[in-house]
Amino acid sequence: MSSDPWIWIGAFLTLMIFSFLYKDNPFYKFGEHLFVGVANGYYIVFYWQNSLRPNLFEPLGAGEFIYVVPLLLGLMYFTRFIPKISWLVRIPIGFMIGWGAGLSIPAYFQAEVLRQLEGTVVAPTSFSNPTSGVWSLFILIGVICTLIYFFFSKEHKGVLGHTSRLGIIFIMIGFGASFGYTVMARVSLLIGRVQFLLGPWLGLID
Amino acid sequence: MKWYERITKIDRRIIYLLLTSLVILPFFVKVTIPQNIMPQTKRLFDFIESIPPNDKAVMISFDYTPQTQPECHPMAKALLRHCFSRGIPVIGLSYDPQAPGLALDAITSIAQEFDSLAAINDDSFDYGVDYVYLGWKSGRIAAQLDMGEEIVGVYPRDYFGNVIDSFPLMNKVRNYKNVAIVVIISSADYPLDWIRYPQTRYGVNVGAGLTAVMAPKYYPFLQTGQMSGMMSGMKGAAEYEKLVFDHGYARTLGTAETGMNSQSMIHILIMIFIILGNVGYFFSRRGKKGKTGDIRE
Repeated sequence: MSSDPWIWIGAFLTLMIFSFLYKDNPFYKFGEHLFVGVANGYYIVFYWQNSLRPNLFEPLGAGEFIYVVPLLLGLMYFTRFIPKISWLVRIPIGFMIGWGAGLSIPAYFQAEVLRQLEGTVVAPTSFSNPTSGVWSLFILIGVICTLIYFFFSKEHKGVLGHTSRLGIIFIMIGFGASFGYTVMARVSLLIGRVQFLLGPWLGLID
Repeated sequence: MKWYERITKIDRRIIYLLLTSLVILPFFVKVTIPQNIMPQTKRLFDFIESIPPNDKAVMISFDYTPQTQPECHPMAKALLRHCFSRGIPVIGLSYDPQAPGLALDAITSIAQEFDSLAAINDDSFDYGVDYVYLGWKSGRIAAQLDMGEEIVGVYPRDYFGNVIDSFPLMNKVRNYKNVAIVVIISSADYPLDWIRYPQTRYGVNVGAGLTAVMAPKYYPFLQTGQMSGMMSGMKGAAEYEKLVFDHGYARTLGTAETGMNSQSMIHILIMIFIILGNVGYFFSRRGKKGKTGDIRE
C-alpha cells in the first residue's frame, strides 16, 4: 500500500465519484463539487500565469502601450453587465468573427471540402491496387447514397427511395462505429482508474 | 415476470458489478487475448521508422487531459520511446492548459529511462540536444502558422524559461522544413487545426494519437493522405507499444497492452448484454402481439 498521502486522497476521491454508481450520496456530491472548484482554480491561475501576465500586463508594464488595444477590446466584453453601454460588446465580437472567418473559411474549404472531394473521386489510379479500388468504389457509393438520403426536394420513391435506404445503412454503420469507439473510450477510463487503485494505491499490480 | 422481461430489466448495479469484476480479473488471472495491428497504427509506426536518425525532428503536441490519461499517456510514452531509440530529436509542446504536467511526466520519465541505460556520457540524453519542451502557448492557430516561418519567433523561451536559441537542437530545427512529422496526442479536436492550417499551408506531415471517441471523425483524413497515421484509443496505444516492443525498442510492454485484456473482456460482456436485450425485446413484442393481435406504438 502507498505511503504517499496524495495517492490516498486520489484513491478516496475516485471511490467517492464511483459511489454514484450505487446511488446519489453526499460523498459523491463532495467529490463532484471539489472537482469543479479545483478545476476552476487551476484554470484561473493557469491563464493568469501563462497568458494574461506574460502576454499583456508585462509588456504594458514595460511601456509597450500598443497592448492597451487588446486590453480595451477584452474589457469591452464585460460591458454586457452594464445595460447603458452594453452595445460596446459588439466591437470585440465583430473583431473575433472577422478574424475567425477570414482565417478559417479558406482553410476549411481547402482541408475539409476540396481534399475530401478529391478523396471521393474514383480515378483509374484508384485501381492500381484491386483492394483499394474496391474500397474507393464503396466510399463513392456510400457518399452518394448518404447525400441522397438528405435530399428532401423530391419524394423518396423508386430509385431515389432505394438509394436513400442504402444511405441509411451507411449512416447506421457510421453510428455503430462511433458507438463502438465510444464504449471503448469509456471503458478505457474505468481501466485507468482500476489500474491506479490496484497499482499505486494498493500495490497489488506493477 | 416472464424470463424475457427479466433479461431486459437487469438491475444496473449488477451490470456495474460484473463490469468491474471483468476489468479487475485480467490483472490477476493470466488472460492473453491476441490483438491485431490496425493499418493506421502501422502507418504511423512505419513513418517514424523511415525518418533517418539525427536528421529532422518529430514534433509532439501533448494535448490530452488527466481524465484521458489511460488512453493517451501510453501513446505518448511509446512514441517517445520509439523516437529516442532511433536517435530522432523530439520537440514537445502543448495547447491544452491541462497538458503540460502530463507532457513533462512523459518526456522526463522516458528520457530518464534512456539515460539510465547509457554506458558512456555520449549515450546520455541531454535536454536541448536530444529533446526540448516548449510548453503551453495561447492563440494556437496563430502559433501553428507562425512556426512555419520561425519556431523561435513563436517560442522565444521554453517551458522552463530558457532562451531556446541557446539549444543546439533549436539551432538545427528552425521551422517546419526541419520537422519530419507533427504528432498530436489529443483528447479534443486539436489535430483538426493542424490539418486545416499548417498541413494545408506548409504541407506538414500530420499524425495523431486520439481518444477512441474522436477516432471515427479522423478516418476520412487518413483516406485522403492528410494524416500520415493514427493511434486510436487504448487499442491504438497497445498496438504501438507492441510494435515498439517487437522491434526491440522497449524491454517490456506498457500499461495499454495490459489494459486491452480487460477491454476485450468488457467488449464480450457488452455484446452479451446487447444480445440479451434484443432477445428480450423481440420476445416481449411477440408476447404483446399474441395478446392483442397487433402492435400499436
